[in-house]
Amino acid sequence: MAFYYGSWLILFAPLFSFAVIIFGTRVWDYMVRPNDAAQVDPVTIGEHGQTEGHSEQEGHAGEAEPELAFAGVHGTAEQGAGGSPYGRVYSDITYTSVKGPHGETLTYENDDNPKVAHLTPGAQAGAWIGLVIVGLAAIYSWLLLLNTAGVISIAPYLPQDGIQVFAYNWFVQSGNAANYVVAFHLDRLAIAMMVVVTTVSFLVHFYSRGYMEDSAGYSRFYSYLSLFTFSMLVIVFAQNFLVIFIGWELVGLSSYLLIGFWFNKRAKPAEDRQAPANAAIEAFIANRVGDVGFITGIMILFATTGTFDFATLASKTSTQGVAHAFAGNTGLLTLAMILIFCGAIGKSAQVPLHVWLPPAMEGPTPVSALIHAATMVAAGVYMVARTFPLFAAADPAAFQTVAWVGGITAIFAALIALCQSDFKRVLAFSTISQLGYMFVGLGVAGIEYGVGPGMFHLFTHAFFKALLFLGAGSVIESLHHATHKEVQDMRQMGGLAKFMPITAATWLVACFSISGFPFFAGFFSKDSIIGLAYEHGDYALYFITLFTAGLTAFYMFRAFFLAFGGKGGKFGGIWGGPYRGEGHPHESPLSMTIPLILLAIASIVAGYWFGFYSYLTPGAPILSFATVLGDVRTWIGVIVALVGIGWAYFLYCRVGMETVHNYVESHAVLRVSHRILLRKFYVDELYNLLIKYVVFGISHIEQAFDAYIVDGIVNGVAQLVMTAGRDLRHVETGKVQTYMVGFFGGVALLAVLVFVLVTFVR
Amino acid sequence: MGLSLTHFLVLGAILFSIGLYGALSKHNAVAVLMGIEIMLNAVVITMVAFSAYNPVPKYAGLLTGQIFAIFIITVAAAEAAVALAMVIAIYRKRNTVDVSDINMMKW
Repeated sequence: MAFYYGSWLILFAPLFSFAVIIFGTRVWDYMVRPNDAAQVDPVTIGEHGQTEGHSEQEGHAGEAEPELAFAGVHGTAEQGAGGSPYGRVYSDITYTSVKGPHGETLTYENDDNPKVAHLTPGAQAGAWIGLVIVGLAAIYSWLLLLNTAGVISIAPYLPQDGIQVFAYNWFVQSGNAANYVVAFHLDRLAIAMMVVVTTVSFLVHFYSRGYMEDSAGYSRFYSYLSLFTFSMLVIVFAQNFLVIFIGWELVGLSSYLLIGFWFNKRAKPAEDRQAPANAAIEAFIANRVGDVGFITGIMILFATTGTFDFATLASKTSTQGVAHAFAGNTGLLTLAMILIFCGAIGKSAQVPLHVWLPPAMEGPTPVSALIHAATMVAAGVYMVARTFPLFAAADPAAFQTVAWVGGITAIFAALIALCQSDFKRVLAFSTISQLGYMFVGLGVAGIEYGVGPGMFHLFTHAFFKALLFLGAGSVIESLHHATHKEVQDMRQMGGLAKFMPITAATWLVACFSISGFPFFAGFFSKDSIIGLAYEHGDYALYFITLFTAGLTAFYMFRAFFLAFGGKGGKFGGIWGGPYRGEGHPHESPLSMTIPLILLAIASIVAGYWFGFYSYLTPGAPILSFATVLGDVRTWIGVIVALVGIGWAYFLYCRVGMETVHNYVESHAVLRVSHRILLRKFYVDELYNLLIKYVVFGISHIEQAFDAYIVDGIVNGVAQLVMTAGRDLRHVETGKVQTYMVGFFGGVALLAVLVFVLVTFVR
Repeated sequence: MGLSLTHFLVLGAILFSIGLYGALSKHNAVAVLMGIEIMLNAVVITMVAFSAYNPVPKYAGLLTGQIFAIFIITVAAAEAAVALAMVIAIYRKRNTVDVSDINMMKW
């Protein structure tokens, strides 16, 4: 059992690596930097780049020194030829104009992420520390998984309720049941999630060594990755609502730090892209809006039952369980659970709080892969899975809410993704849509299947979505090397498969997987959710999810063909074709392609764990190949996916992008709907209006209240005192006779008083 | 109808009021002092009246009020001397004896 109790190491290892990177390697770097260098902070932005627009990282020994500038201040080239210990620090801002599909001029400017010529030893050491620690954590979690699944046998059986791994009594009231305990525990659901988190985190650490190798702030990046991994594991290991909320906010913080990693980068209105700093704020605020509901739900539960602990709340026998405390009052429990689900709406980017996820693509692509594909957005799903017994104890309305919000989100995001031209934005909306599927899976499963279907889709989705994002990062990075600009628009790509075969092949695997193509992982997880919707009797949800599956296949393959294929390529336009951009892209180095290959293998193999449902919920049905293939609805799903793939093939490999575009523009109905979908159903504009008029309107009212009423009272009191003083001072005339009048008048009054009292008061 | 205590008390009250009126309303400082003197004398009359018409037999023969009168006269004289000295000092400085003009200790 020490094997299980040692899992606290998994939890605290990333925290340890965070501390080591921040307090160890960065301090070491600071102390050993050469004294002759000026105190150059390589993260500051240069106002000017070189005269011409190239900024290759390889040495430019013979070129003119660039102007080193601090933020807003034009510096002089005071450094010698070596510059700072980090090598030359520069960033290039140049502009390039290309012709867009309408003939308009699209202006692209280089991104302003500062680059460094070489990394300091401290930064590299920090990266290795983070990588090794997360790798060890990943190995440990795989061992836990294999052991509890029965594949290997190191330790005895883990009880179904799990074991408590670590507990700290924060505030204990004796005699009162309200204990505030920071407690972590390990059970099978936690192990399944932990495997996902640590594996994807490890692959992202590995990948970032290649992706971020020339970026300033390298060690800061790895420290944030470690912080994020720790925060996510806090959520995974949480035993009560307190701890899960702590982890919830910590991942929100880490997401903010990582999205806004290039904090000086500017917005690109031409491409409808925000500045990363604003995107980070938007992500945090959207999460916080969801957290209002989350906290309210937790408070309702705590006020009624007096405990935060998941196991206690879920138990049917304890007096503090919801079954007992809410007996006869299930409406309140349903309300509490729906409010708790609001937190998941914010964290997992469901409609209406999905607006933060597309701008969050402004962060580096490994961040998008880790946080916004595989793990953080899955925290909402995990939380609903954790509190599944509470949802089950509430009215069916709770599950219906979960399923319908998921379903609406799935189709909403899929429709928007059809028309996006930014590579990462398609993936962002795809993530939103697939998260909707997970919530549908959780909502329609019922007690019999438990958390299995939703979590299974989370499990497989993490792998193929991380693969999609890392592949996108590979494409973006290699196009950056080729064109010296940040190219994310698919209209600038095309035929990349012949330049980047490994990336293209792994992306193809992921596309098949997400489309639910048979024998890939997504097939098993997605089609089981669609089937469950049908079995549950939600025919509307069934059709929604089925249609969305077709849309998913379409837009994913549209993205694939636009980027990697094109009319005129091999195999009828699937592979290669005309390249619409500039320069000569190359395949990415091994540090980036190895994770892609590993994830591609996982995207195929992960679906074959048929015992997943019963691993999490004992007694749940086991998927079997034969029943899956024998069910006619499965084949309906496959046909829908194939229709989507075929239609995308037809449009983008046979007909060609420009022809499709012209056709859409020339038909009014298509043009209008294209515009609506391109503008994401105008939700962003609606929220802007809402904030501008409602939120700021209320704030103006309150500001007026503060300025006139509150300040009025404060200033009014002062005015009162001053006026009273100014008027009362005239009493003091300086004349003795006046004072004598007062004196004798008072005496007379007293005399009258005494006379009255003596006469009438006996 | 013989004289009783009431007659003397009323006389004292009237005299006191007259003196008070003079002290409060006169502008000339010396007139104010005269009013104060009148007040003092009214008090003397009242005291002597109480002494003469004392209802308590045990204290009837004591001449408390009359002795008091001598003291009051003495004090009044001393006080008048001091007050007049002040008036003379003020006159030398301000060249006026109008009490309405001596109001520097004001706002």
